[in-house]
Amino acid sequence: MIERRDEELSHIYREAEGPRPPQRVDDNILAASQRVAGTVRRPAVFVFSRRWGKPVALAATVLVTSTLALMVFERQSGVDTVAPPVPRAGRPAKVAPQEPKRTESSPAEPPRAVSLQKSPSVDLPRAAPAPAAPSPQAAPRSDRVQQHTVETALSGERRGTGQPARLPAIPRGVEILRRSEEVKPVPDAQRAFDAQQQIPPAQAPPATAPAAEAGGIREPGLAPQRAGAVGGVASRVVVPEAKERTPEKWLEDIRRLKTEGKATEVERELAEFKKRHPDYILPEDLR
Amino acid sequence: MSDLASVLPVPAYALPVQHRSRAEALHLRRMRGEASDEELMLRYGRGDARAFELLYRRHRLPLYRFLLRQVGNAATAEELFQDLWMRVVNSRGRYEPRAKFTSWVYAIAHNRLMDFYRGNGRASFLSHEESESVLEDLPAAEIAADLRLDRKRAVERLLAALGELPDAQREAFLLQQEGELSIEQIAAATGVGPETAKSRVRYAVAKLRASLGKES
Repeated sequence: MIERRDEELSHIYREAEGPRPPQRVDDNILAASQRVAGTVRRPAVFVFSRRWGKPVALAATVLVTSTLALMVFERQSGVDTVAPPVPRAGRPAKVAPQEPKRTESSPAEPPRAVSLQKSPSVDLPRAAPAPAAPSPQAAPRSDRVQQHTVETALSGERRGTGQPARLPAIPRGVEILRRSEEVKPVPDAQRAFDAQQQIPPAQAPPATAPAAEAGGIREPGLAPQRAGAVGGVASRVVVPEAKERTPEKWLEDIRRLKTEGKATEVERELAEFKKRHPDYILPEDLR
Repeated sequence: MSDLASVLPVPAYALPVQHRSRAEALHLRRMRGEASDEELMLRYGRGDARAFELLYRRHRLPLYRFLLRQVGNAATAEELFQDLWMRVVNSRGRYEPRAKFTSWVYAIAHNRLMDFYRGNGRASFLSHEESESVLEDLPAAEIAADLRLDRKRAVERLLAALGELPDAQREAFLLQQEGELSIEQIAAATGVGPETAKSRVRYAVAKLRASLGKES
């Protein structure tokens, strides 16, 4: 649109020394532009975080809190399962939930003995002579794993025979313990707990009651057995593996007794073995 | 710049920066693959402060000269200049490249000038109207031969004559020279019809040429 003569005028105009804005004006404008660009228009990520930051933080807090609560609860339950804490005076201990499961299984199942050895529910704390019973974790693990109470033995006895509770034959382990004089008195608190766990015989379900019926409570009817059979101090005698041994292990023990010349004990053990495992074919050397 | 510059074509890159026209600068930017004004403004609207800085460097001198020569006072020109760029900054989110950036920014400058004129009671800018008949009566002046050789004197005379032009005509001329706007763009920026814009430009050019044709 600029004509030829206008072009000439334009050349003259451009030769004029152009004034420039002061540096401070430049600085002010550029600073304002950067300030505004940095505060108002944000990257999409920042906008997203600003919009969703609080809800996400709240959700994360709730999630972490609930997770921690669940973990604590499960850990607490796990502690209860691993070893029920020794009850303090006037306060019943929590009951191991896995223990009734053990009683419902068939006594002839060999793997069950292994599972019982691994199961922490059998880890009843060894009674300590001190008034304040030590924590179950304080006892050596191997020691705890291989220990069962007479109660367990009694339970196995009753399951195997289907007979009502009665005083069972004292297993070999009990004798061993007697010899080693490891019988420890039960604290008063433990006795109080045992008394609370006693259920009247009329309400006791049959020995083959499913675990669901047991409901995580110690096997009903066991306490009377324990009270009647061993009673008091003897009720807490620890029996290593008792009747939960595998047949092979049991037979090995019997062989060992035989080699030691303990004929009476061999006979008793064999009779017990046959009672527990009537279908098991005994090896030639033990017939 | 010798007189040959008006006769022989000189490459744009050979000219000093202040002598390059906007079209030449635009051509050079395209050759270098630089972003256009509109792209820079959009980038600034998305938060790119560097884009605004580039935009500012491109247009600061023409815009400042436009305002200074319109108001004739450096302090006022600085105030208007700063206010103009702040309006650009504040409009970054609403900017849409429906027109050239220069048309848009000079329209803002025009509006700011109008506010300034209203505030100072300069009604001549608003009431002055030119007609084609008046324009046609003007003689087609030729630039004096001695001024063609003495460019410094020619510049002084041109600037003096520019200051004597009516505000609207001076603005139209400056929009054409500094903003490189076409008649249509000048009309759009100043809010008048194309014919009015055209008459203002031609009237200003005729007066300036006449000032250069006179012997002092």
